[in-house]
Amino acid sequence: MADETTTPKQETPDTQSPDEKLAELEARVLEGDARAIDKQHGEGKLTARERIDKLVDPGSFTEEFMLAETQCTDFGMAERRQPTDGVVCGFARIDGRPVYLFAQDRTVLAGAVGSAHAEKIANGIRTARSLGMPCIGLYDSVGARIQEGLSVTSAIGEIFFENSIASGAVPQISAVMGPCIGVASYSPALTDFVLMVRGTSQMFITGPPVIKEVLGEEVTMEELGGVRIHSEVSGVADVVSADDEACLTQIRELLGFLPANCNEPPPRKESGDDPERRLDGIEKLVPDDKRKPYDIVKVIKAMVDGGEFLELKRRFARNLVIGFGRLDGYPVGFVANQPMFLAGSLDVDASDKASRFIRFCDAFNIPIVTLMDVPGFFPGRQQEEQGIIRHGAKMLYAYAEATVPKITIVLRKGYGGAKQAMCTREMGADQLWLWPGVELAVMGGGGAVNVLYRREIAASDDPERTRRAKMAEFAERFNGPFEALSKQFSQAAIQPADTRARLTRTLALLREKKETRPAKKHGVMPV
Amino acid sequence: MATSVTAPMVGKILKIEADTGATVEEDDVIIVMEAMKMEIPVVAPAGGTVKTIKVEVGQSVEAGEELAEIE
Repeated sequence: MADETTTPKQETPDTQSPDEKLAELEARVLEGDARAIDKQHGEGKLTARERIDKLVDPGSFTEEFMLAETQCTDFGMAERRQPTDGVVCGFARIDGRPVYLFAQDRTVLAGAVGSAHAEKIANGIRTARSLGMPCIGLYDSVGARIQEGLSVTSAIGEIFFENSIASGAVPQISAVMGPCIGVASYSPALTDFVLMVRGTSQMFITGPPVIKEVLGEEVTMEELGGVRIHSEVSGVADVVSADDEACLTQIRELLGFLPANCNEPPPRKESGDDPERRLDGIEKLVPDDKRKPYDIVKVIKAMVDGGEFLELKRRFARNLVIGFGRLDGYPVGFVANQPMFLAGSLDVDASDKASRFIRFCDAFNIPIVTLMDVPGFFPGRQQEEQGIIRHGAKMLYAYAEATVPKITIVLRKGYGGAKQAMCTREMGADQLWLWPGVELAVMGGGGAVNVLYRREIAASDDPERTRRAKMAEFAERFNGPFEALSKQFSQAAIQPADTRARLTRTLALLREKKETRPAKKHGVMPV
Repeated sequence: MATSVTAPMVGKILKIEADTGATVEEDDVIIVMEAMKMEIPVVAPAGGTVKTIKVEVGQSVEAGEELAEIE
């Protein structure tokens, strides 16, 4: 633990009344340790209290357990202990709505997690759950306070327990604004959203010294658990922020899409954008030539209120896009194939990314709009080895399990079982619409013709010509919306320009949707 | 330090969009591949100058194969 965080205890004269003593003590906590604060600023970071000030509505923060201290007296802790025990906890309002928040304070005992510190956090999460308000955690800590031995790991275990029990009851948002290392990094991982700040956030389970000792590898904290790893490779981070201020703004923005708890609808925010607005020119964003890629994010932005779309996990599994937008002011979760990457196919990471998001939306009453343009599952031995069967199954499970309104639109194509993984009617879509010119089939024309007409092609004088003729026949039969409409795969073909109006009208009808499932303890998701 | 631009999947090189020496920004398209009956843009992982293009149009590449280097 760093020495500079130790403030010498001031001698208070015995003549002070308890009131005076309390006031002085509280004032000293609020003032903080100037040296430690300077150090925090020097690293380009705000202090815990500054972060709270910038995050919440002015004057709305009410602190609790300010004078809690560690009860540990071993290894010199009796002399070094400090009020708050390195974490600031309390109630506040954000955009007028109540939240519980805790912020690890790097300027007090280096934000090390002691048992009192961990108990405060666990209590905060429990309080948020019992009062039905979102819980926000700001993480910035050197790690567990090893002086406290087993009591600290037990207290951290209590945090994991409370995070897990609160999951699906109230939204939990974690902003990692400094190191969040070792076992402590499981707390954000158990919450719904993780924000990380570029350059200052790191998350990892085993640190560089352990890796050096066990594997002999040299690796820096940033390489091991910085923003790049978690936003591009591991998928731990949902949002990457340029600095502390941006991160706090993004928390508010994210919170604006979420209800206070699982029994409430998400908050409506009117934008003045006409719910019936025609999307003139949207078809130009999606090339007719099905070989040509395009950016699905532009299509989503064209549909939603004011073009505002909060994309999550943007640089992880880029072949699938998830995020929040609003339609007629009501929050909607979007799940969409992204043809710009891996042809928009579904792979292990994309399935993982989508399933968790679908389950979040379902838990918190947020309708799901799925935009399908999928060539299939990403083929290959590597995907099979990584368990695309298990991971792809999660998407099917998550969609089938979700009872929120679900609307799917096929923009260009859907092949094979990947269609079902993008929520077809039988997977529980309330509505499935087709843009004109869609291709829907069990497999691509080339492959299908080779199977269906193998003998005929082989016996032909000109096999290639026969094959082409059969492919044209196949395309004639399956291209376009007619088979899908005839077989009730889809309720209707719609004009791209009408998509927004159709969505807002239909979601208004679906708002009262109530769907019940057979009573059971819980399903067993193929995680 | 040079950054590798690698093939995201097995496929064929269809087009080379950025020549050696060109200045590119993060997410600019460097090469277009063809796979799964789709054109697959391969983008710059970071901004910089294209140092070398290691493939030719028509060439088949494996997943993870280095296609270009950016410095």
